[in-house]
Amino acid sequence: MTALRAERAHRSRRTLVVTTVLGAAAFAMFVLSMMWGSVWLSAGEVLGSLLRVTADRGTDFIVLELRLPQATTALTVGLALGVAGTLFQRLLRNPLAAPDFVGVSSGASVAAVAGIVVHGASGFGVSVLAVAGALVSAALMYVLAFRDGLRGYRFILVGIGVSAFMTGVVGYLLTRADLHDARQAMRWLTGSVGLAGPAELRVLMVALVVLVPAAVVLHRQLTALELGDDLARGLGTRVELARFALIALPVVLTGLATAVAGPIMFVALVAGPVAARLLAPATGGVLASGFAGAGLLLVADLVARHVLPAELPTGVVTGAVGAPYLLWLLATANREGVGG
Amino acid sequence: MTGRLRAERLSLGYEDRVVVEALDLDILDGRLTAIVGANACGKSTLLRGLARLLKPRAGQVLLDDRSLTEVATREVSKVLGMLPQTPVAPDGITVGDLVSRGRHPHQGWFRRWNDADEKAVTEALAATGTSDLVNRPIHQLSGGQRQRVWVAMALAQDTELLLLDEPTTFLDISHQVDLLRLLRDLNAQTSKTIVVVLHDLNLACRYVQHVIAMADGRVVTEGPPAEVVTPELVEKVFGLPCVVVPDPVAGTPMVVPLV
Repeated sequence: MTALRAERAHRSRRTLVVTTVLGAAAFAMFVLSMMWGSVWLSAGEVLGSLLRVTADRGTDFIVLELRLPQATTALTVGLALGVAGTLFQRLLRNPLAAPDFVGVSSGASVAAVAGIVVHGASGFGVSVLAVAGALVSAALMYVLAFRDGLRGYRFILVGIGVSAFMTGVVGYLLTRADLHDARQAMRWLTGSVGLAGPAELRVLMVALVVLVPAAVVLHRQLTALELGDDLARGLGTRVELARFALIALPVVLTGLATAVAGPIMFVALVAGPVAARLLAPATGGVLASGFAGAGLLLVADLVARHVLPAELPTGVVTGAVGAPYLLWLLATANREGVGG
Repeated sequence: MTGRLRAERLSLGYEDRVVVEALDLDILDGRLTAIVGANACGKSTLLRGLARLLKPRAGQVLLDDRSLTEVATREVSKVLGMLPQTPVAPDGITVGDLVSRGRHPHQGWFRRWNDADEKAVTEALAATGTSDLVNRPIHQLSGGQRQRVWVAMALAQDTELLLLDEPTTFLDISHQVDLLRLLRDLNAQTSKTIVVVLHDLNLACRYVQHVIAMADGRVVTEGPPAEVVTPELVEKVFGLPCVVVPDPVAGTPMVVPLV
C-alpha cells in the first residue's frame, strides 16, 4: 500500500471511529438524561419505554411524557448548534466565528421575542420568526463585513457588535412585555432546554432530517473553499453559491434551535473544536461536530437540573463552561497565528 | 496558429479602476510562457482574468473558441488549472490531503475516490519530489517544499493548461531556480501549456521559452527571450537603464543595470 493510500485510509478510519464514538456518547447521555430524576429508572426501562416494548404505564408516563421532550430538545438543539458551529468556523477560518457568538442566535431571539410580546405568536410562527431574525442578522453582518471577500476577523467584530445590539433589544422588549412568567423571559435571555414548546421542537426535528444530510453533502464544497476563494474557483467551485449555501444552512439551523431553546451560548462555539481535536487534522466532520454538540448540551442540561443546588437555565451552565474556553481561545488564537 | 487559451479585446479591473484594457493575446500551446513586467503593470490581473477569477469588463477570454463565461466553471477546471499567489492551507492539513484536493473538479457530489485520482496524485507528488512528505503537516515544511506541494496540488488537477501567479515570490534564489527548473521539466515531459507570472526577468530569460512583457496593462512585446529582451525593452517596461549581455552559462539574455 502506498503512503498516500495509507494516509487516506488512516484519516477515514479515524473519522469513522470518532464519529461513531461521539454519536454513541451523545446517545448514552440522551438515555441517561431520561434515567435521572426524582425517580431513577434503569437504562432497560427507558429503552423499553422508548421502543414501546414494555407495558408499564407509570414508567411510560415518566419517560415519554415527562422526560423525553426535554431530552429530545437537548439532543436536537445540540446537534443543530454543533453542525452550524463547525460550518461557520471552517467557512470563516476562525474558531471564534460560531453563530451563537456572532449574533445569529441573538438575531433569532429578537425576532422571536418581538413576535411573542407584540403579536402573541406561538408554535410554528415563533420558528418562522426566529429563522427570519437569524437570516436578517446574518445578512446584515454579511453586508457590513463583506469587502473583497469574507474575512473572518471583520465578520466576527461586526457580529459581536450586532450580537450586543440584539441582546439589548431583547432586554428592552422583555421589560416592555407583560410577562407574568419570569422563567419565560430567562429562556430568551440565557437559553433553556426545559421551556421548549412542542411545535417549535417538531419543526427543528423535521429540519434536521433535511439539513444535516445537506450539510454532509456541502462539506465537499467546504474543502475547496477552505483553500481560499481564488483556488476554490480554479478548482471549479461556484464560490458565491457555495458560500451562500454554507452560510444559509447554519443560520437556519441556529434560528430553529433558538426558537426551541432560546440563545444557548457556547455549544456551537465549542462543539466543532472538540470534534476537530479528536479527528485527524483538517479533516472536519459535520456529523462528529453535531454529535459533540448534542452530547455537550445533554451534559449541560443534566448538570443544570440535577448537579447544581438550584435548577438553572441550561444557558447558564453552557456559559460557565464556555466562557473559560473562550478566554483561552482569545489568549492563544493570535499567538498561534490561526486567526483569519 | 491560435492557442487554446486566448484573450480578445479583454478589459479587466477592480471596482472603478481599469487595469487591463482591450488586450489581445494568444497563449502558445505546449510552451512555458512567462508574463513579466514592473509591479502593478497588470500581469497578475491578466492571469486572474485568463483563469476566470476576474470577470471581464469588456471583451472575452476564449478557451477552445468558447468564451469562459459560457462554459460551466467545473468543465473549465478540468482543462485549466490555476495556482493563486496566496493560497490558504487549512490548519494542520497534511501534504497528502492537500494535494488530493486538487482532484476536486474530477469528483462529483457522490463519486468516491478512484484509481484515476490515486494515480494523478501519486504522479503529481513524484513529479514535484514531494512523495516522502505525504504524512507531514504542510505548516512544518520549508517555503520551498511548501511551494512544491502547491504545484503538486495544481498538477493533481491534471489539466492541460496551468497558470501560476508569482510562484517564486517568497523563495530564496536557489528555490526560485529549483521551481523554474521543475516547471521547465514538466513542460518538456508532458507538453503542458504553462503560464507563469514572474518578477525576475533574468530567471524568466533563463528558463522559459516565451516571454510576454507588460506595461500599464498592455502587452509591450512577446517572443522568445533571446529575440525580445533588449535594453530598450527593459527601459520601457521597467524604467531601468541597462545593458543586456549573454548569460555566461546558458547564453540567454541577462539584464545588467547601468545605474
